[in-house]
Amino acid sequence: MTAPATSSRRLRFERLPLRRIILISLSIAIVYGVVAGSAATLRMGTFTAADWRSLVINGIARGSVYALIAIGYTLVYGILFMINFAHGEVFMSGAYTAFFVAVAFGRSGYLNAHPLVSIGAILIVSMVTSTLVAVILERVAYRPLRGAPRLVPLITAIGASFFLQYTFRGLYGAQARAYPTINVLQGTWTIFGVEILRTQVIVVVAAILLWIALFTFVAKTRTGRSMRAVGEDREIAALMGINVDRTIVATFAIGGALAGAAGILYVFLFNQVIFTMGFFPGIKAFTAAVLGGIGSVTGAAMGGLLLGVLEAVGPNLFLTGVGVPSPNQLQPVVAFGILVLVLIFLPGGFLGAPEEKRA
Amino acid sequence: MRAALSRDNVRAGLIGGVTVLYLALVGMIERFQDRDVITDVIGLGTLLILIGLAGTGYMASRPPKPRPGRKPVTANPALIGLVAGTTAGVLAGAVILILELLISAGVDVRSVLASVTPGMLSTMEFGLGPVGGALILVGLGAALGAGAGALRLLSDQLRDTVTFTLTAVLLMSLMEPILSAVLDGLSLPDRWLYEGGGLTVLGAVLTVVAAGAGRWFWKEREPQRKEAVALLPADRRTLYRKLAVFAAVAFLVVLPWLVGSFISDVLGTVGLYVLLGLGLNIVVGYAGLLDLGYVAFFAVGAYATGVLTSPASYLVREEGQLFAEKGLTNFWVALPFVVLIAVIIGILIGAPVLRLRGDYLAIVTLGFGEIIRTLVLSDWLAPYLGGAQGLLNVPPPPPEALDLRAPQNVYYLILVFCGIAAFVAWRLSDSRIGRAWAAMREDESVAEAMGVSIIRYKLLAFAMGAGVGSLGGVFFAAKIGSIFPNSFGLLVSINVLSVIILGGLGSIPGVIVGSAVLVGLPELLREFAEFRLLIYGAILVAIMILRPEGLVPNKRRQRELHARDAEAELSVIVTDEATS
Repeated sequence: MTAPATSSRRLRFERLPLRRIILISLSIAIVYGVVAGSAATLRMGTFTAADWRSLVINGIARGSVYALIAIGYTLVYGILFMINFAHGEVFMSGAYTAFFVAVAFGRSGYLNAHPLVSIGAILIVSMVTSTLVAVILERVAYRPLRGAPRLVPLITAIGASFFLQYTFRGLYGAQARAYPTINVLQGTWTIFGVEILRTQVIVVVAAILLWIALFTFVAKTRTGRSMRAVGEDREIAALMGINVDRTIVATFAIGGALAGAAGILYVFLFNQVIFTMGFFPGIKAFTAAVLGGIGSVTGAAMGGLLLGVLEAVGPNLFLTGVGVPSPNQLQPVVAFGILVLVLIFLPGGFLGAPEEKRA
Repeated sequence: MRAALSRDNVRAGLIGGVTVLYLALVGMIERFQDRDVITDVIGLGTLLILIGLAGTGYMASRPPKPRPGRKPVTANPALIGLVAGTTAGVLAGAVILILELLISAGVDVRSVLASVTPGMLSTMEFGLGPVGGALILVGLGAALGAGAGALRLLSDQLRDTVTFTLTAVLLMSLMEPILSAVLDGLSLPDRWLYEGGGLTVLGAVLTVVAAGAGRWFWKEREPQRKEAVALLPADRRTLYRKLAVFAAVAFLVVLPWLVGSFISDVLGTVGLYVLLGLGLNIVVGYAGLLDLGYVAFFAVGAYATGVLTSPASYLVREEGQLFAEKGLTNFWVALPFVVLIAVIIGILIGAPVLRLRGDYLAIVTLGFGEIIRTLVLSDWLAPYLGGAQGLLNVPPPPPEALDLRAPQNVYYLILVFCGIAAFVAWRLSDSRIGRAWAAMREDESVAEAMGVSIIRYKLLAFAMGAGVGSLGGVFFAAKIGSIFPNSFGLLVSINVLSVIILGGLGSIPGVIVGSAVLVGLPELLREFAEFRLLIYGAILVAIMILRPEGLVPNKRRQRELHARDAEAELSVIVTDEATS
């Protein structure tokens, strides 16, 4: 084909397994770093057992929020094979809109007089807003692109993400705002002899309830069955008399509603809203979805919890011992590092189907 | 009449009304009103309302797409436009009226909707008060909608001339910062054309006459011109093309001396984005790898330059000392090392992840971008990279004569490197490597079966993109003189991505057009700055849906993206034949 000299040079280049060398050294470095770092931290004894416990509980609480958002990614990916990059903004839109309801309740004193009713109302406003945003997003931005090359909807989703962020900035203003305090949620409860913040307990319980509701919905109802059928094979599902468009809208709506609920739970934990608040939880929830195996609802829940705990415990455990100052600054590195590693070594996640060759 | 009142039309009207209200409620109309289109006659905010209403009529009256099994509804387009425009006007007017009522009832609307200011309301009401404003919105909706619909009745040539003329007036007015600077630079008077940031009435009339007449005759002679071009011998055509390129280069070279230092500075920024865009274009446009962490290489370039050349770098500084005498080396010596470092980091990042499927790759690269940003910001690496304080005192490139305090010189420096990068990209695109990339982009498995080593070509694209991106970082460091971690967020990656997508993936002229529009315009028109990312987001969505090949498409890419449409059209024809 070409001159012998060139072809032999190319052969030699290909015999050098550059990729494998980099991968192996990467894994050795990471395993060594994690083991040595954790050992050193534990030997130093900076953190007591109680510290670790509260870090883990903190991680579980935020992990349940990630899990709820992750379900939105997983459901959409499961039937459309696209990453809905704007899902974090769906989450933000609900929490931010419900903020105004919460303020109105707080100002009139209704919030603390009837906390259960007001929290219910706030939750409903948030879920309805997020659902609407998700459905409109699907209709305007994604539906015209069905069947387009894979990167096209992803780029659209990125655009939609920024569009939504700055739309809400224009609508509601650029400053961060603190949610009014709800007295019932302050303080701690003692569960099995451990003192836990009430908000954390409520967030975890609410997330579990919502997850069970969703699981039942997908497993038992007609819409749930059509969702699974459309995910399996869109054309055949259509031939079987399933309204594909309506099923896809339902999927976006369910993901949106859960994201809206997650928004309120997030606010219970972090207490403030701003138009950029969707970005990091969104990316982390996506990581959680991939970690658990994208397409799997159970996987999303597991991935969320695992990521939350790793993120809360990880920087302290791995990095303190190595002498890194203020390790919590590096939380995003842990989250993204996990994402990168999972995608490299375990692209199917824990519960996902093994990576299909070509979609 | 019945046909004009169809549900589709009312829906189009409602969409138009929602659009106008959206523009008002996110604050665009009020902010843009600060810029005059024609001084003392019409502001950009008002014009936006008018465009919204007219656009509603124009879109509603567009001839329906042929669909299998459905007879197209025929109605007078002016009537359709009238119905849609009125609907839009009624919706907008009603909402504005309700807002006014709420405010007068003592509800603090602004504590929720931050953009409902007196200024916005008065712009929406054309200064006529709540009721007058609502009525005039309805009236304008009807008139503009009908007028825009009536455009459909005109001959193609006339309609084209009308829309072109209106666009020309808007563009002339938006070009005010550049054109008045050029006129000043040539020491010509400009008061007859521009005043107070907008066109004068005389200027507007002249623009209408010139653009209208010019476009009319251009269209009139189009068939003859096309024929004449087709008859030209091949060598003459290449000669003309070369002359055109030469003229463009000459124009770029004299440009900074025409426009003065402020606009030269903007041109420098545009050039920087052209450079970044050319690099990302190799990765995304040629090889089809969506890289959302491109800012990582930009950051590597800037920080490596800082560490190698700044006297504040940890390499030369003694313990406890803030600055050394001078940096480790000078700019020009550092340059190749910086690019080399970036290429190595590109390979290290790329090698493990390039096996991933496209959308996963995008997210992973995004992750790398964020990791690098977090790292440069962290206390951990602060002794080396300056942490939140950044790296200061990056010296400008020697010799002294290359005075980089003058923005013109920065511009030239960047222009030269853009030229080199564009040349390399152009030569690459049709080379063996470029063809391998194209094959890979279109179908990875087939390309692999044809003997293209996927990993190798992906790595090559990634590494080249990294190298060019780091060059951008190098010039950024030299231009600004200090490096702050906040300059390296995800937004840079998104900006560059928007630039190449607006211009057209894989298209070199597209990168230039994209940077000029997306980077140059917001720098010049400060009113846009606040809505920059909103507009970027909207552009990404709109381009992907309406014109995925971009403004200045690459021919091959265009065919790839429209292969599906061609199939769809074919199937429509086939089903039509089958049903008839």
